[in-house]
This record gives sequence, structure tokens and C-alpha cells, in this order.
Amino acid sequence: MEQIIQELKEHLIEELNLEEITPEDIDAEAPLFGDGLGLDSIDALEIILILEKNYGVKLSNSAEAKPVFYSVKTLAEYIVNNRK
Amino acid sequence: MGAKDTKIWFGAESMKTSLGSADRTYSAIRNYETGLRYHDRYGMMAGLMENGNAEEGFTLMETMIVAQVTEVLEKSLLSLSDPSVRFIISTTKGNVGLLEGNQDTPPSDAFLYESARKIAAHMQMAHPPVVISNACISGVSALIVARRMILAGECSHVVVTGCDVLNEFITSGFASFKSISADGVRPYDALRNGLNLGEACATVLLTSDINRASEPLIRLEGGAVTNDANHISGPSRTGDGLFYAIRDAISEAGIQPSDIGFVNTHGTATVYNDEMESKAITLAGLENTPLNSVKGYIGHTLGASGVVETLIAIEELRTRTVYGTLGFTELGVPCPVNISSVHRPLQTLRCLKTASGFGGCNAAVVIAAESCEDRYEAGKVAAEAVVTAEYTLDNIPGKSFAEQIREEYHQLGSPNMKFFKMSDLCKAAYVAAENLVISTDLKARYLPTEVAVILSNSSASLDTDMEHQRILQEHLPEGTSPAVFVYTLPSVAAGEICIRHKFQGDNTFFIDKDSVFAETYARLLIEKGYAKAAICGWCDKLGEHRKVNIKILEIKS
Repeated sequence: MEQIIQELKEHLIEELNLEEITPEDIDAEAPLFGDGLGLDSIDALEIILILEKNYGVKLSNSAEAKPVFYSVKTLAEYIVNNRK
Repeated sequence: MGAKDTKIWFGAESMKTSLGSADRTYSAIRNYETGLRYHDRYGMMAGLMENGNAEEGFTLMETMIVAQVTEVLEKSLLSLSDPSVRFIISTTKGNVGLLEGNQDTPPSDAFLYESARKIAAHMQMAHPPVVISNACISGVSALIVARRMILAGECSHVVVTGCDVLNEFITSGFASFKSISADGVRPYDALRNGLNLGEACATVLLTSDINRASEPLIRLEGGAVTNDANHISGPSRTGDGLFYAIRDAISEAGIQPSDIGFVNTHGTATVYNDEMESKAITLAGLENTPLNSVKGYIGHTLGASGVVETLIAIEELRTRTVYGTLGFTELGVPCPVNISSVHRPLQTLRCLKTASGFGGCNAAVVIAAESCEDRYEAGKVAAEAVVTAEYTLDNIPGKSFAEQIREEYHQLGSPNMKFFKMSDLCKAAYVAAENLVISTDLKARYLPTEVAVILSNSSASLDTDMEHQRILQEHLPEGTSPAVFVYTLPSVAAGEICIRHKFQGDNTFFIDKDSVFAETYARLLIEKGYAKAAICGWCDKLGEHRKVNIKILEIKS
């Protein structure tokens, strides 16, 4: 779990162009969207791609998926529970 | 003839959609036929045109444009070599299909201005062509620019062509946005789940000479472009930007909302677009006015849509019919709008046509039949515009763009998490605007709706287009990147400036050889009262080449 959280932070920084941010700057339990990292709906689509590409986990962008997008930790939990 | 007496008429037209020629398109719509089919090639439903043959030395798209422009000019007894005639092309992606297999250096025809210049030279035009690439409002933008050029006395006639063709570049990008409907568009419907793309090419003459106008007479009474300054891909959650465009178009026409007979909307059938439009329509006091979207017949034809759909709206005025919205069954937008799946008789022969697009842009025009009283009065504004600040960014030998822009960004001293997500073109525009807005204290001196952003360049968004093409050619199972695709529109650079500073005035992006036309147009906006200040100029970035020269133009105090 800790390892996936660390990996996810690195993927997010790389794929979402979060320049000048280090994995340590990201609080795994803090909300991803809204003020903190300034992520938006396009980033949500990119996160879906990150999950698919790196973990083979499919996720839709529907309202039901919203709790999964809450934080790095909720994403990591989803990966652990759904990866093949 | 003074500007006060000038009326702008629609003249000869030519059109091709997935339903066929103009006449064929109109009769198909009357019979509720759709041009949308499932196409294996793109793995989605779309409205494709029947393929013609490209003339030697021209792409299919250019061949189509030349044929339509020739037809319209012949019908109008005009020639492009006549100095009173100008030519505008509106397109989002032009010949972008040529990037396939050419991802290292874009071929000349992939540059929108080069392609337009080739057409202009072939047709021996007296003036250089004007190319507008303003995301999905391009076509309506082009009609508005044409109207303003004629009113300003720059010309008497403008031939406007809107054209976009589909290719994997475009279809893969919209697929990455998860915005394509698998089973056909349902505008404003409770079950709507996305848009379908379409191809189209349409050309029309706008003229101040009533003798060249088509019968029955239809005039372009007013128009406005705004930005909702909300998000580059997500429409405003309040509808305020589109509402301002509608309000200003109606005001220019000198009419009231109750004088509008029907609204022909953008109506793409994505969840958020239709929701936003319903709010804007309600804010504008048009919730009881009959409304329709023609996307169910021909799909979303991108840069062509504004021209094609305005021509369809003109046909609705001619036949006194509000076409039914194909695909609509049950109202599913937060503000109820007056929509029907079946054709309805039209009482008042005046239409409001709207469009909205990526980058937060919105546009609206008012078109009316001769039976409607003409209340347009030319504005009395005669301000003088002056340059009050200027920002330049050039190539520095030995310094990469990345290094240079990072330095410029840090010098601003105001961190913004969004900055590094932007395309390089947008980063350049952002840094320029940030410097200029701060140095002139622009935001304290003007209302958000009074500031326009008018940009131009020669490479459009080719810098990002090549990146999208490169990802596309990797054929990754997860598809292309939405964060890259959203920047394959140059006008998003204007959108980023508007979002950052909450500017909501006109925003138009011209593809050109230099910034002369864009600056002249920005000046016209201020001098004719369409804006009080403008961020305008040149913003180009392709590979390591960068050239930025952006100015603040404002009313002389």
C-alpha cells in the first residue's frame, strides 16, 4: 500500500506536470481536487489513464467514481482492491 | 453611404454536409433524416461527407473551399480580385490530417495561413485572406468579424467559408475526453451522453449591397463574442459568458428578447454544455422562446458549425419553420427551455444563433427576415485607441524555450499550479498577459466584460498538434491524452488569459503572417465601442522558435 502511494505520487507529478512539487509535498490523505494541487476535470481524465496504463485498473469518470478520486490514498485503495 | 445606413445582408451560399448539398441537407432535415452513422474507421458515430477528388496541388479540403467560393462569387457576380471583397476562412484544424507520418516537420499545407494563402493566390485575391481559428465558435466568430469589417468601411462584401474535416487526430482527441455519444446525440435530453462529430464545408456572402443579397432578404443584425473565464474545457456553471454574448448581440440589433422568434443553439448534447446553455437562455429571458439544435442531423461540425448552422437557421426563417431537435425526447436540463422533437411553425422571423467552445468562448448573432423592423443604429462611439504597454519574448541564442519561460514565470513572483500544465503557446501568452496586466493595473480600471483578447500567430497550435500526433501514432491501448488534446486549439491561449484575469470580453484568434490584422481588429473593437481595452498581438511558438509581441491597447484618456 505504502509503495503504491509513493508510486502514485510520482506518476501524478510526472503525468499531470506538477512541476516544482515533490512526492513529500503531497499529503496522501488530502483532497486531490479543489485548492490543494489545483487539479481539474482534465486531470481526472489523465488519472484514469494513469490507473489504466500502470495498474490495468479501469475506472469511469462517473459520479459513482467520485469517492475514489478523493485522495491519493483512496486511489491506492481502489488499485489494491481492483488490480488483476 | 454612412455606417448608420449600412445593413449587412446574406447573399449566395454553398454547403456540403454529411446529408449532401445545401438543398439536400434542408430536405433531409425536413424529413427527420440524419447523416450520422457508425464508422469503423473511427470506431464511433459521425457524420462524414461523401469524398470528392482533390485537385492537383490542393488537399480535398482546399479543393472543396475553392469550389464553394467560386460558386458563391459567380452567383454574386463578384470576383475576389475586386478590392471591395474580402475572404475569411474559419476552421479549427484545417489540414491537420497531413501531420500523419510527418510528425517531425509539419508540411506547409498544415499551416492554416499557408493553405489559405495558396487558395487566395489561386483565386487571384486582391487582399490577403483572414483565417480564424477560434475553437467551436469559429464560424460564428467569422460572421461577426465580417460584419464588423463591412461596418467599419474596410470592404463591402465578405465571402465567409467554414470548413472542418475529420481524421483520427480529431476523433481520438474527442474520444480521450470521453465526450462521444455511442448511440447518437440527444440534445437537452435527460439521457444525453455526449456529442457526435461531423464534417461540413459552407460558404456564404455577406454584403452591404442589397442587389447582391439573396431573396427573401435576411440580414445580420448584430453579434458578440465573449469568454466565460471559467475553465479551458468545462463550460461555465452559471451560463454568464454565453448570456453576455446573447445580451450584447440583442442589444446591438436594437431589439428585445421578445423580438426573437427562435434560438438555434450549439446544443452539442454533452451534459455540461446543454446545462450551461439552458442557464444562459434563461438568464437572457428566452426560456419561453422556441429553441432547437441541429446536431442530431449533421453532428458537431467544429469550425464549420457556425456557418453551416447559420445557413440552416436562414432556411428555417425562409420556410417559417423551427426544425425539431432530432434525438430529443425528455427535457433534462436544469432550466426548462422551449424545445420540441418535431418541426414547429415559426411566428417571428428573427433568429438568435449561438455557439460555445473550448477555451471558454461564446458567440451569438441575430439574423432577421425583411418583415422584422430594422432597429439597428450604428454606435456613436468614436474613441481613439492607444498602446499603453508592450511585452516581447524572442529567441535567445543558447537558451531553450523551457529555460526561458521558467525564468519569466519565476520573475512574476506569483505561483500558479496551473502554469506548468499549459502548452508552451499558452505559457508564453500567460507570461505576457501577466506582465502587461500588472504593469497597467488593467483589472482595476476596466470591467471584466470590457477587456478583449485578440491574438494571432502563424503556427496556430501546431507545436501541441505534433505532440498529440506523436501520442496518437504510439497506438497506446489507453488512447491519447486529453491534457494534450485540449491545447490543440490556438484560441485556448486567449482562454487561459481570460481565466487567469477573469476577462469576459471578445476573444478571437487569427492565423496570419504577421500581427497587423489582429491589431487593426483590436483597434476597431475599441474605436467602435465593442471593448474598452484589448490584450492583442502576436504569440507564436513552434519547436524552439518563439516570437511573442503582445500589447495593451486602450481608449485614450
